[in-house]
Amino acid sequence: MQSSSMINYDYSVAKLFAFATIILGIVGMLIGVLIAFQMAYPELNNLAGEYGTFGRLRPLHTDSVIFGFLVSGIFSTWYYVGQRVLKVSMAESPFLMALGKIHFVLYLLVVAAVVVSLLLGITTSKEYAEFEWPIDIGIVVIWVMWGMSIFGLIGIRREKTLYISVWYYIATFLGVAMLYLFNNMEVPTYFASGGYGDWWHSVSMYAGTNDAMVQWWYGHNAVAFVFTVPIIAMIYYFLPKESGQPIFSYKLSLLSFWGLMFVYLWAGGHHLLYSTVPDWVQTMGSIFSIVLILPSWGSAINMLLTMKGEWQQLKENPLIKFMVLASTFYMFSTLEGPIQAIKSVNALAHFTDWIPGHVHDGTLGWVGFMIIAALLHMTPRMFKKELYSKKLMESQFWIQTTGIVLYFSSMWIAGITQGMMWRATDQYGNLAYSFIDTVNVLHPYYTIRGVGGLLYLAGFIMFAYNFYKTITAGRVIEEEPRSASPMAA
Amino acid sequence: MFHWLEKNPFFFAVGVFLVIAYAGLITILPDFMNSARPVVGTKPYTVLQLAGRHAYIKDSCNACHSQLIRPFKSETDRYGMYSLSGEYAYDRPFLWGSKRTGPDLMRVGNYRTTDWLENHMLDPASVVPGSIMPKYGHMFNNKANIETAYAEAVTVKKVFNVPYDEKDMPKLGSFEEAQKLALEEAKEIVDNMKNPTVKEAYAKGEIKEIVALIAYLNSLK
Amino acid sequence: MNWLNDNVNLLGLLGAAAIIVITVFVVGKYIKQMKTDKSTGELADENWDGIGEYKNPLPVGWALSFLGTMVWALWYFLAGYPLNGYSQIGEYNEEVAAYNTKFESKWANPDAETLQGMGEGVFLVQCAPCHGITGDGINGKATDLTSWGTEEAIVHTILNGSKGMNFPLGEMPAGLLDENSAKAVAAYMTEKVSKTGTKNSDLVATGEALWATCAGCHGEDGKGMGGSAPDIASYGKPEFVASVLNHGKKGVIGTMPSFNDGRLTDIQKLAVGKYVNSLTQ
Ligand code: HEC
Ligand code: HEC
Ligand code: HEC
Ligand code: HEM
Ligand code: HEM
Ligand SMILES: [Ca+2]
Ligand SMILES: [Ca+2]
Ligand SMILES: [Cu+2]
Repeated sequence: MQSSSMINYDYSVAKLFAFATIILGIVGMLIGVLIAFQMAYPELNNLAGEYGTFGRLRPLHTDSVIFGFLVSGIFSTWYYVGQRVLKVSMAESPFLMALGKIHFVLYLLVVAAVVVSLLLGITTSKEYAEFEWPIDIGIVVIWVMWGMSIFGLIGIRREKTLYISVWYYIATFLGVAMLYLFNNMEVPTYFASGGYGDWWHSVSMYAGTNDAMVQWWYGHNAVAFVFTVPIIAMIYYFLPKESGQPIFSYKLSLLSFWGLMFVYLWAGGHHLLYSTVPDWVQTMGSIFSIVLILPSWGSAINMLLTMKGEWQQLKENPLIKFMVLASTFYMFSTLEGPIQAIKSVNALAHFTDWIPGHVHDGTLGWVGFMIIAALLHMTPRMFKKELYSKKLMESQFWIQTTGIVLYFSSMWIAGITQGMMWRATDQYGNLAYSFIDTVNVLHPYYTIRGVGGLLYLAGFIMFAYNFYKTITAGRVIEEEPRSASPMAA
Repeated sequence: MFHWLEKNPFFFAVGVFLVIAYAGLITILPDFMNSARPVVGTKPYTVLQLAGRHAYIKDSCNACHSQLIRPFKSETDRYGMYSLSGEYAYDRPFLWGSKRTGPDLMRVGNYRTTDWLENHMLDPASVVPGSIMPKYGHMFNNKANIETAYAEAVTVKKVFNVPYDEKDMPKLGSFEEAQKLALEEAKEIVDNMKNPTVKEAYAKGEIKEIVALIAYLNSLK
Repeated sequence: MNWLNDNVNLLGLLGAAAIIVITVFVVGKYIKQMKTDKSTGELADENWDGIGEYKNPLPVGWALSFLGTMVWALWYFLAGYPLNGYSQIGEYNEEVAAYNTKFESKWANPDAETLQGMGEGVFLVQCAPCHGITGDGINGKATDLTSWGTEEAIVHTILNGSKGMNFPLGEMPAGLLDENSAKAVAAYMTEKVSKTGTKNSDLVATGEALWATCAGCHGEDGKGMGGSAPDIASYGKPEFVASVLNHGKKGVIGTMPSFNDGRLTDIQKLAVGKYVNSLTQ
């Protein structure tokens, strides 16, 4: 067996995407903080004319954190992890090297197009699939290039058996490809009408209830294949690697993977409970959501058990802290989601702030922390520098954790209060509250959420600073560490 | 078997794809035709209403407003009759939303009127103290995009057989005719409004975004 | 109001508690193992970039819970929300029917106090967005209900006319009488026709002489001649408000929608009328 240290891995594309992850993360979260405060202080809508209103900025927030921060985090880790677990360097294939670089450039162009178009209000309104057809085409091209990179690297691999992380990266690629194509079936109206109106405008192939079904089949599984599957790919590599511990159980990995693949796609109906989609589809959505708890928890438990007996590491190594808390929040949100998918609970929770609460348990606690930990692990190895400051990481960890707790506790209270007030009746059986009453009570919670978000953003900026100082002023390291990342106090 | 798959990426990928692909077919296809059938009396949007719908989408009103009344007494008391699948037959895209920061708008045309909407869109807090909805002054200056709305109507008529130009259904005709119809339709709304910019523009044959938006909101019943 | 009488509220709160308790309990258990246990097991042959893998069996609790959820799923599908028996619209109809039965038996003959209380609730939810929380019409954006229905309002109507409720007779023209005569008619009308009482009893006789101007449309008794014009014998009373709610009004200030889409019952309409009347006092 060839020792991996003999291969000279080429991290140039991984580095580029790492920069993108950090910059787009800051942009996306900054907008998140702004829209959070807009809900508490509506005057903040007037900062930039029509371009600064909540409606224009909200999709910009979701899309820049998802397709900016998250997706470039996925690409960055792929270009790092892929080579190492397949035991082959990108440098061995000029084709794959060139492909990776074009992939990055195209990605930036599409990001720019997305930002401009959303600010101008060019959107199809579908959540997480707002883009008009010209951008869709760009996204498909980017995705195909990533697929070529995955299968190209697999094609020239030295390691015969695919590591767990690679299973999850492959699933991400296939899942998103299928979902995105079907949800974006649209007819460009300029061409179909013989030259009228804006050339970029299109109309959905599906109408009404059908459109909703396809959208939430997509939307739910975008959560699966963007917020979950690739992040599991990351934790299966970075946690054992950073801790030096073997994975607790292959069987658990196996069952969790295939279970997740099998169950996830059925659960989309939970976004449409009590809507006009057929009752049986809704019931299926509820059922499969509950069954989904276990394949989700399987991966998280596998990770926690991998750390069995390693309390010392948890205490000493901030990266391990990030990853253990990420697993915890993964368990938290994959129990919260299923419970919100039970019909009677959804009757209360749907449309309320409890849903954004659930969303950010997952995105801040699980996705955010895991990507941060992954980049921190990769940085000393990609740049051959010691991490700049452990202290900074420790404070970052606690600041961000406080931020998450403020975010979700305020949104839980806000959401449940709102849901109960909408339903409440007075002694005569009339509705007890006008709508605006239910808005006004939320003011303190919206403020707390804004503060929580601000803390999380502050922590993220500390992380960016640490990253920057590491590559510019970190101590050079001679040899790559086997496990725990080197860091200065 | 699984270990074999892990050594054979092609079959592994095929396996994953099969496992994830069919769930969509089984849940979406069986009721596809049923869900597409319009309820009796449902009509496609006129070009003016469609332009308003585009303004609604452009400013992502659906980020705060749902258009889906669930069958609960608390909702039907507040918003009116629960939603039926066939009422959405001409909604491309659907605009159910997933968050009610503001109230549901599925039937807002039943209980809000042009003049109220004008006041509210210009400055929500002036009519509803404490409102956190943004002001939409820019809609009083931007022009409604009638041409793109016309293009969309022509497209859905051609491609999806949406019954424009049929008996008792909205008329399209040529673009010039459609423009004229939109102007006529806008008249009643402009008459019920007070904003001078909107009125002056209308006198010059121009329709502002807000007029189209109100036409759309009024049509939500 | 009792929050916990509502199943949905109760299940929601239980669910929220379960999320926290179960996660803390399970994660706590594994964190404890980080402190106390040692990692053991037989390693697989493979090794990726230095990462090994144990061949440990599945955790029993996990496997059992997995089976448990599948059993629950079957139950939910076959019994909880039975595939061929459950309909959400059916459930809604039952909810509404149960409510209506209860409402009708409880408030069959509402007394004045009940109507007032009920009306206030309806007003704040349905009317306040246009008329303001105090009913003052928000700077002229809708009718100021704190002065509507009074003698002065009648004078105002006679001088300015009225339109928009879509009666067969159409609009009531402005300037039917001069101001003094209008005052007199208003006094007569409140004293003898709508019988809400006048402050100017000295003018009643003068007003009676001028009443013919009005009777042409509203009838001698003011009842509107079988629906050709509004029944002004009920002007300033809950019944008149209820009629406004049924007709809607496209007036001079703006347009008020009608409330005929089933959101308000007849009793609720009268109740809100009663509340509106109380605003003048
Ligand atoms: C930041 C969130 C937000 C956005 C964005 C928003 N609204 Fe609102 N909207 C609200 C809130 C909160 C209310 C309730 C308070 C009020 O009536 O002002 C409301 C109320 C309304 C109402 C009154 C409905 C009723 O039943 O009283 C209408 C109509 C409306 N909005 C239309 C729109 C349109 C059209 C847009 C987009 C151009 C829009 N809103 C964008 C938050 C928002
Ligand atoms: C030409 C017919 C006509 C005459 C004459 C007439 N009315 Fe009316 N009146 C109407 C109609 C029609 C309405 C309903 C208008 C509407 O749609 O609001 C009405 C409405 C009213 C209202 C209700 C206004 C409101 O706030 O809704 C009052 C009070 C009233 N009339 C009093 C009088 C009195 C007093 C006179 C005599 C001085 C009079 N009317 C003469 C036709 C007439
Ligand atoms: C969408 C706005 C709106 C809503 C909701 C609304 N109103 Fe009005 N209402 C108006 C406007 C505007 C007028 C003035 C019409 C005019 O120009 O004369 C009015 C007028 C009235 C009048 C006087 C009518 C007359 O005959 O002069 C009464 C009484 C009234 N409203 C009661 C109610 C009650 C009770 C409710 C709730 C159950 C309600 N309104 C809800 C807008 C509204
Ligand atoms: C600084 C941190 C953040 C803040 C303050 C923040 C704030 C917000 C706010 C205010 C909303 C709108 C909620 C509403 O309409 O009621 C939102 C939505 C959303 N955010 Fe964030 N966000 C942050 C970080 C993130 C991150 C890192 C992600 C993803 C990786 C993310 C993903 C989302 C998604 C998916 C939604 C849409 C939720 C829904 O539609 O229910 N956010 N965020
Ligand atoms: C077992 C796993 C999960 C299940 C069953 C689940 C279930 C749900 C349910 C029921 C909703 C609410 C739908 C509504 O009423 O509007 C929801 C919303 C959402 N969840 Fe989850 N969830 C799970 C895990 C996650 C994770 C891990 C994340 C992110 C990291 C996540 C992100 C989201 C997002 C972004 C939404 C908002 C969708 C929207 O825009 O409306 N979910 N989920
Ligand atoms: Ca698209
Ligand atoms: Ca949403
Ligand atoms: Cu989902």
